[in-house]
Parts: sequence; structure tokens; C-alpha cells
Amino acid sequence: MIKNRPLARTAIIGGIIVIAFMTANTFWSVRQNSDATNEAVSTVSSFYLEAMAERRARIITNLINNNFDQMKKAVDFIADSNCGSLEEFRDGIGRVKSLLGLNRFALVDEDDIVYTQYTTYTGGSRHTFLSDVSTHDRIITTVSIYGSSKQLCLAIPISGISFMGKPFKACFVQLDIKEIVELLAFDDQGQTHFALYVKNGGNLSGTELGPEIGEQNIFEALKGLVSEEVWNENYSNFENEKEGNIRFSMGDQEETLCYVPIQGTGWEMAVLIRDSIIQDQIRDVSERNFRTNRRQIGFTLVSVAALAVVLILQLKKLSKEKLEEEKEASRAFQNMANTDSMTGVRNKHAYLDNEALIDSKIESGELKNVAVVLGDINGLKHVNDTYGHAAGDQLIKDACTLICEHFKQGAVFRIGGDEFAVILQGKGYETMHDVMNEFNRTVEENIKTGSVVVSIGYSVLEKDDHSLQEVFARADQMMYARKSELKAMGAKTR
Amino acid sequence: MLHKRIVKTGGAMITAAAMVFLAACASSQNQGNAGLTGSPDSSEQILKNEYPQGKTDNVRSAVDFDHELDRYEPKKDHYDLYFTYKTVHPWWDAVALGMEEAQRQFLDKGIVITYEYMAPNGASAVDQTKRLLEAAEKGYDVIGVDVADEAVISPILDTLIEDGKKVMTFSSSDAKEGCKRIAYVGNTHNYQDGVDLTEALCKKLDYKGKVAILVGSVGAPCHEDRARGAADTISKYNGMEIVATEYDMDSVDLAYELTLNILKDHPDLDGIICCNMSNPVGAARAIKEKKSNAVVVGMDHDEEALRYLNEGVIYCLGVQDCYSIGFDTIMIAVKIADGNAPGDLFPELTDEITTVIYQEDAALMLELLYGDIL
Repeated sequence: MIKNRPLARTAIIGGIIVIAFMTANTFWSVRQNSDATNEAVSTVSSFYLEAMAERRARIITNLINNNFDQMKKAVDFIADSNCGSLEEFRDGIGRVKSLLGLNRFALVDEDDIVYTQYTTYTGGSRHTFLSDVSTHDRIITTVSIYGSSKQLCLAIPISGISFMGKPFKACFVQLDIKEIVELLAFDDQGQTHFALYVKNGGNLSGTELGPEIGEQNIFEALKGLVSEEVWNENYSNFENEKEGNIRFSMGDQEETLCYVPIQGTGWEMAVLIRDSIIQDQIRDVSERNFRTNRRQIGFTLVSVAALAVVLILQLKKLSKEKLEEEKEASRAFQNMANTDSMTGVRNKHAYLDNEALIDSKIESGELKNVAVVLGDINGLKHVNDTYGHAAGDQLIKDACTLICEHFKQGAVFRIGGDEFAVILQGKGYETMHDVMNEFNRTVEENIKTGSVVVSIGYSVLEKDDHSLQEVFARADQMMYARKSELKAMGAKTR
Repeated sequence: MLHKRIVKTGGAMITAAAMVFLAACASSQNQGNAGLTGSPDSSEQILKNEYPQGKTDNVRSAVDFDHELDRYEPKKDHYDLYFTYKTVHPWWDAVALGMEEAQRQFLDKGIVITYEYMAPNGASAVDQTKRLLEAAEKGYDVIGVDVADEAVISPILDTLIEDGKKVMTFSSSDAKEGCKRIAYVGNTHNYQDGVDLTEALCKKLDYKGKVAILVGSVGAPCHEDRARGAADTISKYNGMEIVATEYDMDSVDLAYELTLNILKDHPDLDGIICCNMSNPVGAARAIKEKKSNAVVVGMDHDEEALRYLNEGVIYCLGVQDCYSIGFDTIMIAVKIADGNAPGDLFPELTDEITTVIYQEDAALMLELLYGDIL
């Protein structure tokens, strides 16, 4: 027990220190994790915007290249077909359009007469890009005439084809920008906004670049939202078809937009994301980390608590076992102190303990019936002297056996070398006389056979007695009287 | 959900109410028989006085891009038409867009409309005569013409009609009165447009000053009518004087040169009345270059002219609804091709509106017509 207490204390303090350390470590890890996540998401978001812008720009570039390729195929197809009349020629254009998926495909002759599937018209003023067609391999023009939808016109010079004697100089397709915009609309749960701009910042796509800029000219919208220096830098980027990004705040909202040029068009593809969305994502990631860490802390706490409980139970069990061992040892020691080593019955020390206990009960009036029987071995000195101490010891053991066999319901004590006392209570008290008589008869028989002879006397607790000693004294007198009687019968007295 | 529906319904009702209001405004601004559904409206001048500087609604209703074919069921599934107009010019490109929309809507109904839409690089009655006669040989269902010179072309049209051809006039200029052409779709109030622009100028000049008139092609009815309207209006005011009248033959460069010359001869010029689309562009270039204070009023929706209007170099412009002219031309041509005559199905004169816009309207008009794509 003396050793277990410091052990438990050490275990508890150690456990608390371990928990505190682990908790602190976990919170530190969470903070580190959160900072790292913020930084990473911020970086990734820029990449994300740039990637989104580039992806959309690539779609447009691919669309343009694909249309240029298809136009060349269309020209080859028409060159191979023999169209005699305007009707056949228009049918040919119609077939090419549907076959190659070309939108509003047209051929232009040297007088700027435009031939489409359904119409033939003078197009010099309408398609101003036709004046440049002879000097360029590819012409990409953005067109918005008189309220019509904005269009991307792609033209290439052609040669070797003529109709009704007039050679063609070019062909072109017109792509509706609304249809291009539909191709660009990825489903990203509305987290990003995109818009196409021309060099002066005019919105070409008709899409809203977030709530602040909306469909306005981007540079008109950014006036006052960014510094003059930033404004000028980005205006210059648009004019020179460069990429860039802009950050601005509106109230408590931070916005980031990224733009990339679309080669050959003079357009800029801009993608915008509201910082709160990035923050929400960071928060989501952080909260997930927090949840994980909380679970880890909880798990650690539960583990440590379980460990502590197991430890305490083990300690308790160990303590109990130690206690039991000590009790057992104590009992053995007690038994050793109260037992006569030769006969195995209780000794004088035990008798005195019992006497004290009985005395307290007599004093309190709790005990009414108790008797003391005293026995003394006859002829022990004679045996010791004549046959040696071993024979004497055997005689003592025989006498003890005789007493124990008769007073089975009493407490037998060896209170001296050849003296025994029996305390009788309860059933032993009630059968005392019969047992005494039987014992005496046996002793008298033993005199004849030379076996062990024990003189006994007894006395019971009387009304005026205040202690067992008084009972003992009367029993002692009676025992001596009996010794005399037995001597008369032939028993050795000493 | 219910709330959304209520909001949507409410929004739709507000929108509908706004549209009715705008339509009312638009029809009120018509000068004569407005479009296929309009009628002469005497409240037009009252409304003009009420909105003297033009309003957003005024601009939005100036050009109607929202058209649908009427319930007429064409008798054939393919029509082949021929149209010729004065000269290659952006004004007729705007008309072409309305024609293409009508063609597309017919195609949606399974009716194919093919057509030629041709013009010379410079206005020429001789060229137009040649084109008409060639077209007459090709069996088109209908021949449409924007008359380059009513005196020369009207007899040709009568001959074609007598030969059993179906002929109509469209866009800016009708044939002369008495011509047998079947119908006309376009501006029927050119004279009044000239009057309106000149009244605006006179008011601006407080009815005092020297003015010049720039006209388009010689003999072009629409240009001549506007010039007459302008001259008649000037003559009403004693303080006003016409110091020059010149023809640019629908050339911006010529209009510029003519204006420079006028300014040279009359450095104290107070105003210029421009009767076609090229006049105001050339005049404004010269006025700006010479830093003249002359007030320019003119016609149409040329992008450069609208930018001069936005800058204040041009005082006002009369914008015609070219898109509607184009749409209605195809729709009526199909009815004519089926042998119908003017009456219940279409009027002999389908008038289209002209809206006078001012500096404060210019930015919105530019956005509406050209978008913000420099």
C-alpha cells in the first residue's frame, strides 16, 4: 500500500501531462494545417481561374481552327461540283453547310457579291473585312451591325473557283457569339463568372462578370474600384492582347478576376471568382480538418481515459491482492500467536483475548450463559521423568485429543504445560453436564488401561460474577477436587 | 415557389404594361401610316413636344427588332425574289438584316425564300434600269426596287407591270405618283422628316441664321422630298436663309468636300440640313475639322454619325426603322407573289417610323445598333 499510492499519483499526473501535450500538439497542428490550407487554396484558386480562362479560350481557338479547316474542305467540295445555275449553286452551298456543320457559309466573288444558300447580295459595305481578304491567309473579325447578334466572322481567300464566269475571291462563315458562349458555359455551380471582352473592354458575350461588373464595359465598371495605375495597366493589357489579373473589393466582398487573350480574335476571356467562395472553400477544408482533429482528440482522450481506467483497475486489483496477502499473513501471524504449536489448539494468549472479550460482554449483560472447564493432565511429570520428554509431549497431545473429542462444541485452550481450559457457550453450554460425565467415565476407564488421565473441573457464570476469572477460579477448585478423586482411583497425580 | 410565381406574374404584367406603353409611344411617334398595324396619329407632335430631348423609351422604340410573321398562309413552299436598291451602303445593310429575319421565319414554317439583293457602288438610274430589265427575264416571283430616280424608273416599272411582272417598291424611295407598282414598304414621310429636322434646327438657332442643305442622289425621291421639306420650312422664317444646296451622291467623302467648300464660302454658316445617311457624316467631319459652330441636323443611323451626335458635333438625327422595312418587305413580297393586291392583307403604302434623337440618346442608340465593340 505504501508503494501503490505514489504509483497511482504518478500515473494520473503523467496521464494529464500526456493529454495536455497531445491536445496542444493537435491544436498547433490544426493551426499549421489551416494556414497551409489557406495559402494552398489561394494559390490554387489563381491557378484555377487561369485554368478556367485558358480552357474556355482554348475551346474558342479550337472552334475557330476547326471552322477554318472545314471552310477549306467546303471550297474543295464546291470546286469539284459542277453547278450550272444559281439554284444548283445555292443547293451546293446548302449541302456543304449541313455536311460540314458550317454556320452561314458564304462565297464572295471579285465584285464583292456574296452567295449564301438562300441569298445573293452586294456585301462590300456589310462585310468590310472583305477588302483585306487578298492580303491575309486568315481573317478573324468581330461584327455587330445594326442590332443584330454579335458575330465572329472567319474568312479565307480562295482561288480557282468561278461561277458564271466570275471568279470567287473569298469565303467566310459567321459564328453567332451567343452560340459560342453556350459552349463555354461549364457547370461549376455558379462559383465563377466569365465574359468575353473586346479590346476596349466592351462585353461581347452578354454574360455577367459577377454582380459588380455585370454586363458593363469592364473598364467603365472598374473605374473607382481599382487604382488608376492598375486600371491603366490592365487597359494596356487588353489593348496589347496580354493576360493578367485584377483584384478589387466592393464593400466587404473581395473579387478576383483573371483574363487571357484569345489568339487572333482581339478578345479577352475573363473569369471572375468572389473571394468569399474561396474563403468558403477554405472554411470547408478547415472545418473538415477541425472535425478530423476533434475526432482525433476525442479518440485520444477516450483512449487515455480507457487506459487510465484499466490502469486504475489494475492498480486496485494489485492493491487488493497485496492487502489480501497482508491480511493472510496477519492472520497466519495471529494464528501463530494464538495457537499452541504442539497440540494445535489455541494457547494461553488466545484464552486471555477470549477472556477479555467475554468479560466485556459480562459487563454489558449481553452474556448470561458461559462455563469454563479446566483440565489438568495427571502423571505428566512421571512420564517425563520416566519415559522422557517425547513421551511427555505425546501424553500432552493425547490429553488434548481426548478433550477436543469430548468438547467438540467448546473452545479448547492449552493454558499451561499440562493445563487445558474449555470455554462453553450456546450448545456446548447446554450439553456441558453430559459431556462432563462421559469425559469422566472415559478417564476412569483410562486409569485402568494406563491411558491418558485428565482431571477436569467446571463452573458456570453466576449472577454475582463480574468476570470469567471468577468462574475460572471455581472451576480450578473443582478440578483439584477431581484430581484427588482420581488419585484415589489409582491415577498418578503428578 | 408561390412567391416566385407571383413575382414572375407581376413582372410579366409590369413588362406587358411597359410594352403597351412603349408601343403607344412608338405609334404616337409615327408620321403617317405606321408599319403594318399603325394608323395616322395626330398626337405625334404633342408627344414630341413632351419629350423634346428624347428619352430612353424613345430610343428603344426607334428600331423594332421584335417581329413575327402574320397569319397569312403562303400558297407555295418556295419563292424566288429580286431586290435592287440605290447604292451599296450600310443603310441598306440594315434593311437586309430585317429581310433575313423574315426569310428565316418563313424557313421555320417550311417555306423557302431565295432572293437577290443587289445594288451598284454608286446610285445610278441607268444601272438600276439595266438590273430591272435583266431581272424581268429571270422569272422572279416578285421584283422589288428602291427607286433611284422616280422619273426614270417609274416608267420602267409600269412596263414591267404591263408585262405581267409583279413589282413593288421598298425602303427609302417609292416611284412617282401614278406608277402602277403594286405596293411600297418604307418611309412615306420623307418630306415630313425634312420638315422635322429643319424645325429642330431653326428652334436651336432661335429662327435666325444662314443654313445649307446637303442632299443625296439627284432625283432620289426620299432625298429630294426631305430637301423640299427643309426648304419649305426655312422659307417660313424670315430670319432664316438658305445659302447653299448641294448633292453628295450618297458619298461621305463628297459630303465632306462639299461642306468644306460651303464653309469656305460662308464662314458664318449657322447650320446644315443633311437629307441622307452620308450627308451628316461628311458634314460633321468638316465641321469638326474647321471648328465651325454650325449646327448639323441629319438622317439615319450611321455609326460615325451617332458618335458625332454623342460628341455634340451633330445636333440631332432622324433614325429610320430599317429593320422593320426589311422584314415587312419580304412579308409583303410573298403576298404579292401569291397574286394578292393591296387591301385587307397589306396596305399599298406600308409606312415605317422615323425617330428624331439627340445627344443624350446617342450612347444608347450606339449600344443598341452596334454594340460596344470598337
